[in-house]
Parts: sequence; C-alpha cells; structure tokens
Amino acid sequence: MSDATLIILLSTLTTGLMLGVIFSLVAVGVTIIYGSIWMPNAANGQFFLLASLFVWSATVSFGLHPAFAALLVIGASVPLSYLLEATLVRRFYDVPNRNISYFVLTLGITQILAGIFSITYGVWSDQFQIPPIVAGVTMIGPFPIANNRLAAMLIAGALLAALFALLRYHKYGRALRAVFQNRDAAALRGVDVRGIYRMSFVLGNAVVFAGGVLFACAYSFDLTVAWTMAITAFAIMIIGGPGSVLGALVIGIVFGFTQAIVSIFASPTVAAFSYLGAMLVILLFKPSGLFAR
Amino acid sequence: MTRHMSTAVLAAALVAAAAGSAAGQESVKVGFVTELTGPWAFFGSSCVAGLKLAESTLNPAGKRKLEFVTIDNQTQPAQAVAAARNLDVQSKVIALSGPTSSDTALAMYGYAEQNKVPFVVPVAAFPQLTKPGTRYTFRLEPNAAGWGYAIVQFVAKQKPGAKIALVYSDYALMRAIAAGLKYQAPKSGVKIEPEIIFPQGSNDATVQAAQVRAANPDWVVVIGAGGFDNTLTNQLLDIGIKAEQIIHPFGITTQVKNWGKRSVGSLYGTFFDANLPELTAEGKKFVEDFRAANKRQPSYVENYCYVTAQVIRRVIDADPGAGDDREKFRAGMAALNTKESTSNIPIAFDKNGARKEYMYFMQIQDVTEDGYKSKQVYYTEWDPEVIPVYELVK
Repeated sequence: MSDATLIILLSTLTTGLMLGVIFSLVAVGVTIIYGSIWMPNAANGQFFLLASLFVWSATVSFGLHPAFAALLVIGASVPLSYLLEATLVRRFYDVPNRNISYFVLTLGITQILAGIFSITYGVWSDQFQIPPIVAGVTMIGPFPIANNRLAAMLIAGALLAALFALLRYHKYGRALRAVFQNRDAAALRGVDVRGIYRMSFVLGNAVVFAGGVLFACAYSFDLTVAWTMAITAFAIMIIGGPGSVLGALVIGIVFGFTQAIVSIFASPTVAAFSYLGAMLVILLFKPSGLFAR
Repeated sequence: MTRHMSTAVLAAALVAAAAGSAAGQESVKVGFVTELTGPWAFFGSSCVAGLKLAESTLNPAGKRKLEFVTIDNQTQPAQAVAAARNLDVQSKVIALSGPTSSDTALAMYGYAEQNKVPFVVPVAAFPQLTKPGTRYTFRLEPNAAGWGYAIVQFVAKQKPGAKIALVYSDYALMRAIAAGLKYQAPKSGVKIEPEIIFPQGSNDATVQAAQVRAANPDWVVVIGAGGFDNTLTNQLLDIGIKAEQIIHPFGITTQVKNWGKRSVGSLYGTFFDANLPELTAEGKKFVEDFRAANKRQPSYVENYCYVTAQVIRRVIDADPGAGDDREKFRAGMAALNTKESTSNIPIAFDKNGARKEYMYFMQIQDVTEDGYKSKQVYYTEWDPEVIPVYELVK
C-alpha cells in the first residue's frame, strides 16, 4: 500500500473517530435528558456553542490554560443547569404532554442565546480558535495527526466510557435507567424520580458542554456550529431510539464514520446529507429507532 | 491696510454666509443598512467601525452636514429590503449603502434599481451586483470572480504550468471566486487538481487534506467560510502542506491572526492592508486611529466603509444639488474620478457601476498577540470584464 493511500485511509479512520465521539457525546447528553424528563432539548446546539465560546473566552481573553479552562467550563454547566432546572424546567414536570411544552421552551432559549451570541461574540470575531491543549504532531506511520486532536479524541472516548460505566454499574445509573423504562414503577421501588429528573438534566447538559469544549479544542468554529450540532444530535437520537443511551453512542460513532467515508468516495457535500437520508430510510423500517426497547 | 481690512472682512462675511447657508440647510441623509446581528455581524460591525472614523472628519465647518442613518439588517435579505424601503420612504435618504454580505446587498440592489435610489455598496463581492443594465448601484469592492482571475495571474507568473488544488466552502462568494479561477486557469496554463467543495456547516477536512497532499500541488487555494476556513488551513498544515503553498483569496484581521504563526509564509489577497508599503499619510493615520479605537488593525472591510463615506462626501461637494436630487447624485457617482484617500488607488466606475479592479497579494511575515506583519509580493489590476464575469456567475 502506498504512503498516499495509507494517509487517506488513516485520515478517514481518525476523522470518523473524532467526529463520532463528539457526535456521540452530544447525542448522549440530549438522550439522557429526553429519556428521563421527556425534554427534546432544541437548545442543545446553543448549549454546545456556549461551552465552546466560554472556553474561547477563558483561554484567549483571560489567558487560562486550555485544560484548566475546559474543566472550569464543564464545571460551570452544573450550577447553570441547576438554576435552569429550578427556575424553568421543573415547572413542567407534572404537565401532560410536556415534551411539546419543553420543545417550545427550548426553542425560546435557542433564540435568546443565539441573539446574545450574535451581539457579543459575533461582533468580536467571525471565527474562534483556542490554543492547543497539547502542541505538536504524532506520526502514525506516514500519517501526521495533531496531538491536540488526538488528545481531544482520547478524552472524549474516555468520557463516553465513564458515562457508559456510570449508567450501567452505578446505583444512580440504574435508577436513571429505571426512570427511563417506567417512572411509576421506579417510584414504587423507592427511586426519587424528581431527584433523578434534576440529576439527569444536570448530567445531560454537562455531557453536551463536554462535547462543546472538546470540539473547540479540536476545531476552529463559528456561531453556525450550533445549528449543525443541534440537527445532528436530534438525528442521532431518533435513529438510535429516543431515550436509548447505547443507541446514541453507537449511532454517533456510525455517523462520524459515515461522514468520513462518504466524503472520500462521493464528496463532502453528499456526506453532509447522507446521514439524514439514512435517518429517513431507517425510520421507514423501524420508526421507533434502532435501539428502542 | 484699509483695502486689506475690507478684503478680510468681505472674505469673513462670505465664509460666514456660506457656513450659515450650510448650517441652515437640512443635513443630507444616507441610509446605511448593514449586518449588526446575525451570521455576518462581525463584518457589519467592522464596517461601521470604519464608517465612524470617517464620520469624525466628514463634516467640517461650512459644509452641508452628511448624516449616516445606520440600521441593522440582521443579515437577512428581507430585513435589508424592509430597512431600505423605510429609509427611502420615511427618512427620504439621498442614497443607500452599508451591506457587507452579498445576500443582503443583492436584496437591496433589487429595491434600489427598481425604485431609482442610488446604492453605494462598500463590501459585497457577488458579481451580479454590477451586472449589465445596472444604473443606480456602484460598488467599491472588486467582484469575486475577478479575485479568482487575479490568483491565476499570480500563480502563472510565479510558475508557468503550475498545478493548484482548489478547496472551498459551498457559499455564493466562494463559488464566484472558484468560477473566475476555473475560467482563467486553462487560459494561463494552470492546472487545477483536485477541486473539493465543502457544504455549509462542514467541520472537518482531514480526509480532503490527505487527498490534496496526495495530488502534490504547487499551491493550494483555500476558501473556507468562517471557522471552517481556519480548520481547513490547520488540517492542510498538519498533513504536511507547507505554509508557502497556501493561498487565501482574502484575509481580514481575525482570519490572519487565527491562522497564526504556523501560517507565516502563506499568501492572502486583499484590497487594503495595514502593512502595505504605499499607504498615504491619511491611510497610516486611519490604521493608527482604528487600532487605537478597536484594539486591532483594520483590513479592507473597514477601509472600504471608511472610503465609502468619503466618496459620498465628494459627490455632494462636487455638485451641491446632489444632496437633494437622487438623479444628480447618481450622475455624480457615475462621473466620479478620484482616489482612495488611504492608498491612492483610483476610484472610477464603469457603465455598470463596477470599478477598475485590483488586488494585492501579501505574504505573512509574523503573527503576534497585537496583530500581524505581512509584505506585499504582487499587485495586479484588471478591467472587470476581462473575463465574462456576468456569464460565469448568475
């Protein structure tokens, strides 16, 4: 195999993995929230962008090290989520068909955040880039990959593994899955359902923030990334099965590889809508999603 | 002595009368509809920052006041037209100006041409803004297809028979640049391989960077949109493309700063740059004042908006009636033969409202916290219709 072919092959693999883990993180965050409190969070893209912009401010404007800034921003999502839950989200817990109410509510949040970003960050720059967490390049055979992207990919992978372990083996994770499956039965078994609602809103947003932070570490971005990510996260959740964390995780990775592979055999333009086409086809045969129970 | 005294008194009286007459007249209003929010907010805000510097010297005593009424179009064509209509009907502006996005500019173009309102476009490069038959629109920025033409001229001069890789985002502006480049390349003996188009919203270009490297081009023309432009550049550099091989058709301050030190040696096109060796004294002052006010150096966007205000002032100075009569204002714009006060580049418009076009190619020398240094390596100018620009991009 020639060096050129090997480089293209390895670049496809790393791109698939990189995009896949980021997509998975965001989709898992969205799914955790939807699965527990039935909130289709239309603002997930703006939350993702908020995290990216906060990291940019912390590093570029305040000179913090990107690793420290990343931890700080993910940490900041916790009080922000608690505040949002206490002031807005919990008011709908007893509303029948609250998913529609939540969708409209989060659309409103989307518009407000988009407006705020537009008159602040949008005026400061047309593009944003943070300094690398790790400088330099690693050679995988003939293929050079920036250490920064490698680090972001590994951290995202580790976070997904930790999240999977938390949901499968920790008592909170078991309680969360019980609420996902049947909240009345979970309540009868002594699960604090409202506590789980609150915790899943906080955890889901922290995961979306982590996605935004790692994305900002790996790529330059602008304000339009919010819309791209919001659509992608919803598409992954729908194909994987709304409420299925495993589905979000697997389909996120599949999406990443689909984009990378289709972009080389067809074109980046075809790749951009290939997964949306796949979504429509899959929904024709399994409308509840591939991993729905 | 008595005669000198009476001459001085007469002169003072004339000046006072002129000033009084100017002060007594209503100010001339120009509607400045630009992008202060939405995806293009950075460009609109930068444009207004340039305009504000011009405004500080635009109304000396004795001259009729020129006033810019700035309205946000939210980067939405429909909003731009609504604002244009409001300024035309309610505020009775003498002319419209302001857009920095081709989409909003095209929307305003339709309104301006249909309603016979002079329209001075500072920064919007889509060719059709000066298509044949245009009467009321005048554009300062060269059209984007011409930028592609200029890149090929530059490459062919550096290395006859060169091969370039062309990677760009699927936006109207980028497609127009690519169209000019692809038209001129075979005529100048330049080969394009590969040509890769990225859809809007792209994030990653690693695979395509590998394809570019495998093609082993002499230069890579990189035309990404927003943050993706920088990702694209970084991923090309990551995979082993040398900075000296990269040509960006345009470079504004934030772009060049984000490309960073690793892009030292790469090239970008521009129409004004703080590092140009032949800036006029006013141009140097403009750079200093802009830097002091905005903590960054200006690029061509800010310069064009600064110059736009001066152009409008000159038209009204040349014919005071142009401040009250749109046809006279239009005629004044069409007859204008002046120079950019910042760089001495001539300004005159052809029958379609397009300027004789030009482009500088700069090579990045250093990027620091405060800004960047670059040197001019090439300059070219051309007639806008040296290529069939209005046929290439519809």
